[in-house]
This record gives sequence, C-alpha cells and structure tokens, in this order.
Amino acid sequence: MKILYFANIRQEIGISEEDIIIENKISIFELIELLKKRGLKYKNVFSNVKNIKCSVNCIFSNFDTMIENKDEIAFFPPVTGG
Amino acid sequence: MIVIQKKSFNYAKELDIFSKKNKLSGAISSFLGKVRDFSNLQKIDAIFIEHYEKMTKFQLSRIIEEAKTKWDIDDIIIIHRFGRLKIGENIVLIAVASKHREESLRSVEFIINWLKIKATFWKKEIGSDSTKWVKQKESDTDKIKKYNTSF
Repeated sequence: MKILYFANIRQEIGISEEDIIIENKISIFELIELLKKRGLKYKNVFSNVKNIKCSVNCIFSNFDTMIENKDEIAFFPPVTGG
Repeated sequence: MIVIQKKSFNYAKELDIFSKKNKLSGAISSFLGKVRDFSNLQKIDAIFIEHYEKMTKFQLSRIIEEAKTKWDIDDIIIIHRFGRLKIGENIVLIAVASKHREESLRSVEFIINWLKIKATFWKKEIGSDSTKWVKQKESDTDKIKKYNTSF
C-alpha cells in the first residue's frame, strides 16, 4: 500500500511517501503499530495520535478502518486551508 | 469548477468571467481569503500552503455537491492556491451564482466553513527567524455544527 505523509508529520518523519506490503488486511491502528517499529522518528510522531487525521483512498477514516495493499493511506494534522 | 493552482489570481477578473458565464443568474456572492500579516500576535513574512491534491479535489467536489442539494444553485467556482504566498496575496476565492441572493449568500458561507474542515490544505507561517505549522481553530469546527450535514 502507498502511505502519504503531510505537513508537520512529513517534516518529522522526513519522507512524503512510502510503499509497504502487508500479508492480510489490517486496521489503521495496526498499521500505526507497524510504523512505530520503523524507528524513533515514527515512534515520536505516532506516540500521540490525538492530533493526527487519516484518510483511506481520499476519504477521512477512523483508525479502526480495515485496509489492504491496494489502498492509499494518508496521515496528516487537522487541515488549515482557506 | 475547482481550480487548485500555485499562481496568483485576479479577484475582479475571475468574478467578471464568472458573472458573464452566468448571465441569467440573478445573484452572485463571493468570498475572498487573503494572507494576513499577524497571527497569534506574531508577525509573519509569508505563508507556505501544502496540499494533498487528489483528496482536496475530491473533498471540494463533495462539498459542492452537498451545497447543491441544499440550495438552488446555478454555478460554483472555487480557486485555492498552494506554495509560498506573501502578505496580502489572495489564497482562496469562492463564488456562487443563483437565481436569488439567499441561495448564493448561504452557500458561500457553507462552502468556506466546510472547506476549513475538509479540504486537505495545511498552512505554515514563515517568520523572520522561525516557521510554524498553523493549528486548526476550534471555532472553525464549531461553525459546521449548525449544518445538518456529514460527509
């Protein structure tokens, strides 16, 4: 699956996107746990998910949403356009 | 029509084009958002706007569709910029054409209020010696509570 990062999350992790492959469907919560094992930057970013929003295929989604390899996931802070 | 662009736009020119395109509409209402020089009492030099283009267009389309279910609207245009913007530059233009003023006035407010919550743009303030990502205001989330709408 493709994972995208935006704004302060992109800045803190240091990349804007990456691809990972999973064997079975998992929840966003489980994806976050997987990402936290990738290093300190990820651990710091995802240690408090209160101010993190996510989308699955461009739709705002809850962290219990189930995802699979064909999905595009994005993590970002609450939006501030306009 | 939804336009996401880096370059600036001329507010008067865009409204004129929109007005001529909708010559049978009795009302056109608009909102123009601009870059301010102060935020939380801190002086800023410019802002940087980042966006998730695919999702932004999708979310704005949903907001437009929702507005059209609520009011009798002839046409809508949203122009939103990204990249580095200086103080005083235009950020966003929303214009709605309708037969009567009530529909266009109400729907412009509806669209900007939902854009603030659902359109995937993020602002970073650039000061002389520091930068800061802007946080979403609680008052912005409060403003959408009056609508009997969920996306």
